Amino acid sequence: MKTAPNSHLKSLSQSSQTQRNASKFVKKFNLPALILLAIVCIGWFLGAHLYKKPFVFPYFEEVIGSIAYALSDLAVLRAIGITVRRVLLGTFYGVLIGVPIGMAMGFSTTIMNALAPYVNALRQIPTTAWVPMAIIWFGLGDGPTLFVLALHGVFIVILNTAAGVLEINKEYYNAVRSMGANTLEVITDVVLPGSLPGIITGIRLALGMGWMTVV
Amino acid sequence: MPIVVDHISKSFSERKNKKIRKQVLKDVSFEVPDGCFVSLLGPSGCGKTTTLTIIAGFQDKDSGEILVNGKSVNAPGPDRAFVFQDYALLPWLRVGENITYPMKKQKMSKADQEKRLAELLELAQLQNNKNSYIYELSGGMKQRVALLRALACDPNILLMDEPLGAVDFQMRKLLQIQLEAILMKRKITTLMVTHDVDEAVYLSDRVIVMGRDHGNILADVTIDLPRPRNRSNPAYHAYADQLTELLKKALDGAVFTKEDEDIMNFIRNSEHEARGGGSAE
Repeated sequence: MKTAPNSHLKSLSQSSQTQRNASKFVKKFNLPALILLAIVCIGWFLGAHLYKKPFVFPYFEEVIGSIAYALSDLAVLRAIGITVRRVLLGTFYGVLIGVPIGMAMGFSTTIMNALAPYVNALRQIPTTAWVPMAIIWFGLGDGPTLFVLALHGVFIVILNTAAGVLEINKEYYNAVRSMGANTLEVITDVVLPGSLPGIITGIRLALGMGWMTVV
Repeated sequence: MPIVVDHISKSFSERKNKKIRKQVLKDVSFEVPDGCFVSLLGPSGCGKTTTLTIIAGFQDKDSGEILVNGKSVNAPGPDRAFVFQDYALLPWLRVGENITYPMKKQKMSKADQEKRLAELLELAQLQNNKNSYIYELSGGMKQRVALLRALACDPNILLMDEPLGAVDFQMRKLLQIQLEAILMKRKITTLMVTHDVDEAVYLSDRVIVMGRDHGNILADVTIDLPRPRNRSNPAYHAYADQLTELLKKALDGAVFTKEDEDIMNFIRNSEHEARGGGSAE
């Protein structure tokens, strides 16, 4: 086969091109995690076939088949939809109530001192302990689930928002006041933007915890 | 008199034992005349920053009165622009937005805001940083932005807490020159807290030296030198030596913080120079 004199150059540039693509791929799809997943799957497949007791250790291909079958079932899809809606809605209520309370607690020492003991006591109550009360109050259906989700989220959001507000440099308050801002403007110009990182952390954690509670 | 400090006292309760009150200021009185640049000079813990924050209204006083343009003040207000030691620029706003913030609060029109902003940015040679975020700036640039923000609404009174304390030596000298040029254009009544003797002499019309004994005023020195100040003028050094002597007395060998160390180094250097100069003659 006849090769052009600069073919090695071309292949070199091509290889660097593929390298760049590869690094892009790693960034986009988290390659190490995918490789680990593949190793676990292959291990499962081989292990199950060596063990040969599918009741205790099901075959990999059968599990995948069941997942595929379930996903093609409309009832299952609807159930997933309902669950997602519940988590989002419950967390939303939690955020709606939690952010103002958390901000008030971070902003005012008096409010913090007034609320902190109750917030800290209530948030220790396990989620499952609320369920009977929630069913009595809201009946069966979406009500108790949303209540428990919101309740769970509200404490996480309160704590993170309050921490976010407390972390704001105290000089910022003095600075905007000395430039003529009133209390409302101090809240919109300093407290809100300053506590945003804390609020976002709270929402993320609340969503995550929501998935764990929704069952 | 734009600023009158009338017999103010201030004490803090100690952190460990709330019953023990620590007296920081006792019967401190002084006045800042119109258009005058006054520096409060003193070792760490003498209460100079406390005095300034009480004038700004950030802290309450136990007794006494602060009169600003004849009115008693207890809270911060836009009549007294403040320059913070650690800038206190809002990190979620861009440079331009930080500088126009006080203008917005003063209900200046959009067009006027833009015009004033362009003017100010040019003054400090920050035209290219209008849309930068604060974390992208160097210390000297942040300091300039903080100063521009304070000057944004043409204040009559400027309060500065070690405004050049956090920047390096070169930038400090440069900013001193710029600051003097800005303040010479329009006489703003200024009160600056500093522990830097040279800075105090370079910028001030008057220097008030505070001691550690509850902020007692050790001396009130008028710096009678033509502006811009010339560091090679012998009279300049005479003032610096006089203030150094006073500070040495105020410090009395008790070094508590980095600030005191700076002062000690300055004293040592100036003594060394004096000896060196003496042998050359």
